[in-house]
Amino acid sequence: MFQGQSGWFSGSVSRELRQFWVAEGGTVSDSRAADFLFSCDASHPDTLRIYESLDYIEDNATIFHAYYLSAVANAEIKNSVALGHFILPPSCLQKEIRRKIGSFIWEQDQNFLIEKPEEI
Amino acid sequence: ATENCSKILKYRCSGCIAVGKPLNSRNFSKLLHSCPYQCDRHKVIVEAEDRYKSELRKSLICNKKILLTPRRRQKLNNES
Ligand SMILES: [Zn+2]
Repeated sequence: MFQGQSGWFSGSVSRELRQFWVAEGGTVSDSRAADFLFSCDASHPDTLRIYESLDYIEDNATIFHAYYLSAVANAEIKNSVALGHFILPPSCLQKEIRRKIGSFIWEQDQNFLIEKPEEI
Repeated sequence: ATENCSKILKYRCSGCIAVGKPLNSRNFSKLLHSCPYQCDRHKVIVEAEDRYKSELRKSLICNKKILLTPRRRQKLNNES
């Protein structure tokens, strides 16, 4: 699935998701060289650094929430998961965005990807 | 999976349906900007990010240096 693609992983991304990326053929590289930028926490210092980079300002660096990978892992057809639903905006914008569109898809996904306990 | 499918149907802009295309962190923002019919969801995100980027660009020009001082960075995060 990720053959020939390189990814950068924030320290906020779990080892499992990174391992899934590698298991699917992806390689891990630094944030300047990577095709994909994954983070689970927009306020993590390593992620903040990207939001302040020229790459980001010039529209060359979209950070995606690493739950994209768990959505892929859980999908019946792996390439049916829309990457575009997993944009991770800077944390200072999230409140405002949430006010306008409700929760992010990766916030909703979090709920159904993690096995929910049956009790209410 | 059904939930996922209905989501895909619900948000049909190029940011949403570009499944299987060679999208990545490097080209996604440009694709979204070139999409004439952004869905509400992507429109809101793009607008917010663009505003953030132009603020940042302005402050870079003001400072006349690429690296922001930590103090300035803090201020930027607290704004908006
Ligand atoms: Zn969309």
